[in-house]
Amino acid sequence: MVRPNFPVRLGAAEEALINQLKFAGADQAAERITVAGLPTRRVESYHYTDLKTLLRAVPPMAQPANQVDVPALDLPGSYNLTIVNGVASQQGTAPAGVTVGTVRGGVLTTRDDTLIHINNGLVREAMSLDIAPGVDQIIQIARRIEGVAAHVADALKIFVADGATATIVETFTGSDAAHVGNHATYLALGKDAVVTHVTVDLSGRDTSHFATNEYHLADGAKLRTLIIHAGSDLARTHLYPRMAGQGAHADVTGLNLVSEGQHADITMETNHAVPNTSSQPLFKSITRGRSKAVVQGKLVVARDAQKTDAKFMHQGLMLSDDAEILSKPELEIYADDVVCGHGSTCGKLDEDSLFYLLSRGIPKAEAETMLVRGFIAELVDPIENEALAEALNGIIDTWLLAGK
Amino acid sequence: MTTPVLEIRNLHARIEDREILKGVNLIIPPGEVHAIMGRNGSGKSTLSYVLAGKEDYEITEGEVLLNGKNIFEMGADERAAAGLFLAFQYPIEIPGVATMTFLKAALNAQRKARGEDELKTPEFMRLVKEAGAQLNVDSDMLRRPLNVGFSGGEKKRAEIMQMALLKPSLAVLDETDSGLDIDALQVVSKGVNSLRDGQRSMLVITHYQRLLNHIVPDVVHVFSDGRIVESGDKSLALKLEAEGYANYGGEAA
Ligand SMILES: Nc1ncnc2c1ncn2[C@@H]1O[C@H](COP(=O)(O)OP(=O)(O)O)[C@@H](O)[C@H]1O
Ligand SMILES: [Mg+2]
Repeated sequence: MVRPNFPVRLGAAEEALINQLKFAGADQAAERITVAGLPTRRVESYHYTDLKTLLRAVPPMAQPANQVDVPALDLPGSYNLTIVNGVASQQGTAPAGVTVGTVRGGVLTTRDDTLIHINNGLVREAMSLDIAPGVDQIIQIARRIEGVAAHVADALKIFVADGATATIVETFTGSDAAHVGNHATYLALGKDAVVTHVTVDLSGRDTSHFATNEYHLADGAKLRTLIIHAGSDLARTHLYPRMAGQGAHADVTGLNLVSEGQHADITMETNHAVPNTSSQPLFKSITRGRSKAVVQGKLVVARDAQKTDAKFMHQGLMLSDDAEILSKPELEIYADDVVCGHGSTCGKLDEDSLFYLLSRGIPKAEAETMLVRGFIAELVDPIENEALAEALNGIIDTWLLAGK
Repeated sequence: MTTPVLEIRNLHARIEDREILKGVNLIIPPGEVHAIMGRNGSGKSTLSYVLAGKEDYEITEGEVLLNGKNIFEMGADERAAAGLFLAFQYPIEIPGVATMTFLKAALNAQRKARGEDELKTPEFMRLVKEAGAQLNVDSDMLRRPLNVGFSGGEKKRAEIMQMALLKPSLAVLDETDSGLDIDALQVVSKGVNSLRDGQRSMLVITHYQRLLNHIVPDVVHVFSDGRIVESGDKSLALKLEAEGYANYGGEAA
């Protein structure tokens, strides 16, 4: 097809996306891709993750698939929900204090980001969860893409009431096909709510996994997130925590685990909108083979947001010489009385530590595993639910063993 | 003749292009405690690392037998399982690795390598408590990550506690006395002495004679510029303390 008026040459992935968006009635989103194409390295926030190069094909929109009811993680007593090929379903009755429903349309705040436009453009109905005080079961949402290669855009909107406590786990799995998953989660924390939100990408390697998590924290709310990329060859998760109420605090954490041929990207933009809030973004990347791990972290502090305390950190551990670990910290600070910073480190397993363990009789492979686990401990140890922490350690061990 | 626990023959080792060990000869029979004294920089820690299997060194000549077996054919972990233990001059801090997890992994790895069954948790806990009590290593220290935030003295006590748990046939103690106050020195020495059983051998490396009042050696060796230059009984340590290392060449210590 000749498009003399457009400077951007569109590939098969873009043509497919444009058709899907038009079919869904999302003409604006379709138009944006028609004009600009998928973001390339020339778009600043995609500099290290050139989608136009990395995403060569987008399969047809998913058809409803047979439900597979087994949750991805074995968490005793968890309340399990599934979203399979975009279709939400509930298993059993919800525990007291949890209300499951649906809301129309997408859940994400509009931003200048192609993946967000696509998600908002394609999602017609989102699953909603309302969590009142007094719920102590883990809520596990298994988001799956089953069957032949499919494109899925789904969304989840969660409200955790004032004073409520919740542990929410999302897993991304499915058949091993060239799926494209574009997932959205909007999570609002009421006043003094305390929430742990864990997401784990365990998709097959051929899947391209995209997720956007938006968080809204009211006064005194405490959030801990842990984003783990341990599946797809191409994974990118956006995190947008917004400290909207005084005293809010977020521990925003994430882990890229990449092996030969994989590319994982966590891109965060934290917004401190009011005075006296804090955030501690801590990310780690472990690479082996020829692979790439990216963490971008931007701290935005509004003019009024005095006494903001925020530090972004990314630590990389290279288990091979051929991998790339990339960090991009950014500070955008409009208030003057704040403590904000960023840092990044990158290295190999410490030889002296390894020798110390060997000298006590621990064989090399086991010693290396202990050190890698030690490197990650800072992310997993703060997860208070023991079964969940153990399940996450299990995922990490599986990844480590797969490389041996 | 019984097989020595340790036999070092004409050992030469270098790091990068620098020769550090220049022909070490040493035989330690079962049950004996030998001390090595020498000024800083003479190569004592290098000897301990070469014995334990640190990879930074190139062995250019000589051989080392542990209970009759050539250790240069074994990795560091295999040497440990074969009965070698090094108490580090500077124990390594390892954040994220819980001390208990580490102790259990070490003990069970050695047992496994020797064809013994792994220890069940209650049995393991009992052994750790026992060794811990002896060396004033309390449960608070055991709950922390390995050596992290330990004071100098706590690190040394933790090393000897590991030794008490792992029960090696040859313990190499590298300046275990440095950084210890007199109380800690007594605790550590008591721990070491309680492991002397007529079979287990020790190589005690120290800069000062003080330690040897507490851990009384059978033989004292003077180490200078990468080799043993004199050997004698424990009175040699007193002589060194009085006269310094000046008689052994190089600058004064
Ligand atoms: N990694 C190293 N690279 C280069 N030189 C080293 C290294 N380690 C030790 N040395 C040198 O080897 C010599 C012996 O050091 P060491 O064995 O630590 O002595 P000691 O324990 O007797 O004080 C010293 O001169 C020291 O500078
Ligand atoms: Mg030394």
